[in-house]
Amino acid sequence: MTAKLLTGNSAAAWGARLAPVDYIPAFPITPQTEIIEDLAFWVDRGELDARLVTLESEHSMITAAAAAASSGVRAFTATSSQGLLYGMEMIYTVSGWRTPFVLVNVSRGLASPITLESDHNDIMAARDSGFLQIHCATCQEIADGVLIAYRLAEHPEVRVPAIVNLDGFYLSFTREPVDLPDASKAAAFVGEYDPENLQFKGNTPLSQAMAVLGGGPYSYFRYETHLAVERALSIYDEVIEEFAATFGRRYDKIDAYCMDDADYVFIMLGSFSTKARDAVDSLRAAGNKIGLLRPRLFRPLPAALLRQWLRGRRAVAVIDQNISMGMGGILHSELATALYGIDKAPLLASYIGGLGGRDISQQEFFAIADELNLAYQQGAAPPVRLLYTRNEMTEMRKLQAIAQAEHAEIRQAEGKS
Amino acid sequence: MSKQSPVHFHRMKDMPSTHLLGTGTPMCAGCGGLETLHTLYDILGEKTVFVNAAGCMTLLSVYPFTPFRGGWLYTSMGSAPAGAQGVRDALDILLQKKKLSAEEDVEVVVITGDGAAYGMGMSATSAAMDRNLDFIYLCYDNEGYGNTGQQYSAATPHAAITSTSKGSHGYPGYKKDLFAIWAAHNPAYVATVIAAEPLDLAKKIERLQSLSGPRMLISLAPCPTGWDYDPELSVEVGRLAVRTGVWPLKEYIDGEVRHTKIPKQRQPVEDYLRLQGRFRHLFEPQRDEAGIAEIQARVDAYWKRILEE
Amino acid sequence: MFRIRFHGRGGQGMKTASRILGSAFFRAGYEVQDAPRYGAERRGAPIFAYVRADRKVINERGIIDHPDLVVVADDTLVGMPAAGVTQGMDAHTLMLINSHESAEVWSQRLNTEASILILAAREDVADRASLPYIGSRCAAAAAALCGVISREILIAAINDELAHLSTDVIERNCQIAQTAFDQMSDQSGLVKQGGSLSAADYIPPEWIDMPFEKAEVSNLAIHAGATSVKVRTGLWRTMRPVIDYDRCSGCTWICSTYCPDGCIDVRADGYPEIDYDHCKGCLVCVAQCPPHAIESIPEQTAREQESGEQT
Repeated sequence: MTAKLLTGNSAAAWGARLAPVDYIPAFPITPQTEIIEDLAFWVDRGELDARLVTLESEHSMITAAAAAASSGVRAFTATSSQGLLYGMEMIYTVSGWRTPFVLVNVSRGLASPITLESDHNDIMAARDSGFLQIHCATCQEIADGVLIAYRLAEHPEVRVPAIVNLDGFYLSFTREPVDLPDASKAAAFVGEYDPENLQFKGNTPLSQAMAVLGGGPYSYFRYETHLAVERALSIYDEVIEEFAATFGRRYDKIDAYCMDDADYVFIMLGSFSTKARDAVDSLRAAGNKIGLLRPRLFRPLPAALLRQWLRGRRAVAVIDQNISMGMGGILHSELATALYGIDKAPLLASYIGGLGGRDISQQEFFAIADELNLAYQQGAAPPVRLLYTRNEMTEMRKLQAIAQAEHAEIRQAEGKS
Repeated sequence: MSKQSPVHFHRMKDMPSTHLLGTGTPMCAGCGGLETLHTLYDILGEKTVFVNAAGCMTLLSVYPFTPFRGGWLYTSMGSAPAGAQGVRDALDILLQKKKLSAEEDVEVVVITGDGAAYGMGMSATSAAMDRNLDFIYLCYDNEGYGNTGQQYSAATPHAAITSTSKGSHGYPGYKKDLFAIWAAHNPAYVATVIAAEPLDLAKKIERLQSLSGPRMLISLAPCPTGWDYDPELSVEVGRLAVRTGVWPLKEYIDGEVRHTKIPKQRQPVEDYLRLQGRFRHLFEPQRDEAGIAEIQARVDAYWKRILEE
Repeated sequence: MFRIRFHGRGGQGMKTASRILGSAFFRAGYEVQDAPRYGAERRGAPIFAYVRADRKVINERGIIDHPDLVVVADDTLVGMPAAGVTQGMDAHTLMLINSHESAEVWSQRLNTEASILILAAREDVADRASLPYIGSRCAAAAAALCGVISREILIAAINDELAHLSTDVIERNCQIAQTAFDQMSDQSGLVKQGGSLSAADYIPPEWIDMPFEKAEVSNLAIHAGATSVKVRTGLWRTMRPVIDYDRCSGCTWICSTYCPDGCIDVRADGYPEIDYDHCKGCLVCVAQCPPHAIESIPEQTAREQESGEQT
């Protein structure tokens, strides 16, 4: 038994250590900070032969990571929430540089209001950037996911940066048993960093990341980055085979649970999916043939595989821990796109919940399952449900009463005069 | 970066006569910033990586055309010094791991306009100095957001007409003292330069080549397009900026500021202002005595302080 | 629909020309689009602007592929492929060139089916970078050729567009515009409005399936040094610096250092040499040469002299 208890943040740091990485530009933000603290500790003690530099912002941090990758070293960085957004100009920019590195994002709800707790709106903002996205549900998956992300991002047919996403608090600060890969096996699996033809050195002319004139050349570079991200779909399968053969753990593009005979399906990303697993077990015990799908790989989106999994099912509940204002759940939209027009498409129902760390209770999963049953009987999906209970509203009203106390008094006074 | 043994610049005759920076760039005819850059490049040589921020010089390289013979990386308006950090760190890591020979090492040079240096990129620059990053920074200061049509920036001088200060008195603010701000970080080297004084420029480049750490250059960059004068006057305008005392040439090294060219008989500032359309309102339709006198008084006060020290 | 393209150099006022013509059409009751095309262009570099005008709503957008009228403010641009002056011209197109030379000479030179008219160039201009009033002249000539804009409307449009300038400058623009308008009035209506493309009979786009290419090939990088020399910025030049070697004292470090573009190199004999393929004609060297051995002459004159020497 080589497993030990590690937080999600620690598992992410271990992933970077085992790759191993050469360079870590860093910037603190809750709930990510422990990752860079762990790495800094190892660097200081000489346990990790890497250079860690604290930049003055995430914008600079991402610039430095990509610039270093463009200069021939393996870079790692991590952020969260507002930090990812502060660096967003560079997230979109550096994917076009075609230099691979890994960024761990510890998901946290976006302001406003400010919260430290988890949801997925931060990572969804990077959806269209050209970064690969691997979403984790356990601490084990985080350590392994970082290694897989390097291998995938650095593949000569991919060559774009990757984000490994984990949920704040639910994974970042939560210890779970993690079986750490053997260091030499991990290094052999990831391989040496190959800068290909992008490396600055004396007597080598190389200009990178410049402007183009006109939509023709612009489209070429944008299309090629898109095609490279798409390419990662098939490369992922090769990488994962090798990972499974080496380490005995298999991480399919989509994690499928109890799907063989499922009439009904939950679909969601990230660590809350393990709650859905429990719900599936209870529902099955109660006679409901339901299953669970959790895309690990979100960019590129395994759309064909989703169609394959969902064709012929009765109804699907997409549970989004994000909200696109004025539209709804982002994963729901993506599912609708993937399934549009196929035969035997299931009914698709949209649930939004788990925002800012709000729990999704087992009872809520059960109720969603009941709604799917009803939807199938009635032949129509229910309207979008924003998960919120009467009790939560009662508590909210108490807060509002305090917040608006004087306002109410003033209004009253005005009314009298 | 191992330091090269420098060439010695004593006379104008010592200036490089072969030019490394490729011709054919889309910089305006008469660009004072390009004039500084080509001299810098001639002296530093090809073993360099230029890390570029958004500004006029974004367009130095437009696929598939680059004037550089060594390295160049475009980043963003705010983060060129962070790009330099990544490149420098990567080079050091590769040197340390013996994956790069000392021969293959290169000097990392940031180039930004005043828009980035005085504004959006200031925290990235400050932090690069905090970290004692071994790099050279060239700010080509044309005193406004030139690439978008010369809107005023924090580098715009008092009274200049820009496309966002077109009123009868021009820009109401005052040019920020970037030299002092940079020097307050105590980096290895800070200097003001101008291409119209090539020998002073070359000597300063030579000096910074012998140093390590942050080596910062602010080059006033006369801009025919943004300052509204005939391109052939570019060097003349630059020279007058020095001779009138408007642009003091100085350097900061080891905690001391030294003026490298003290105009013996300072010409009146109006000799400089008069050549430029952006100050025409000080002379036409009527002469604005008070406006000119205010600019003169500020320059006089600066030099009085310097000469008394 | 009228589709009109103005070609000139950065600084010659082609945006103004397109706006004057746009305003004139608008005042004459037309739906209008006018726009300049910006790129990385600088003063002296070729640029263009365009105007569309129609009696009904204009849905077409972007650059004009098949112009009805092409107005060229600076004839040195015509033979320059990068300027794209003749792009999309055919027998339907009318081309108006501001030139000293005749329409016959241009027809022969361009070997085009388009009809060519000349807007007689004003004799007194040496440096074409500052062709005075050319924007108003071009707009006025174009207005006359379209045949649907009156003199009064043209003048009103000039007043609209130049309102920020002083009264005497506006007045001078109006005078010059009227002269150009009158010069062209016997050709009034010569511009034929083009139709729209037929959906029944068209040449299909040759779409390809975008091939995937590894980053080694498709990365955004240039693996070669100083490729910018392939860009002939010498085409921007309207005035040419010429070294008089009899007077040159060989202090090459002066001109060679001050040239912003690094276009002055030192020959084996120690004398400077200007790279005319790239010299943008800023004339800093002329201003800085200690023995005044560099003079500036109009680029057009220099080219005529060169072609004279060759024949």
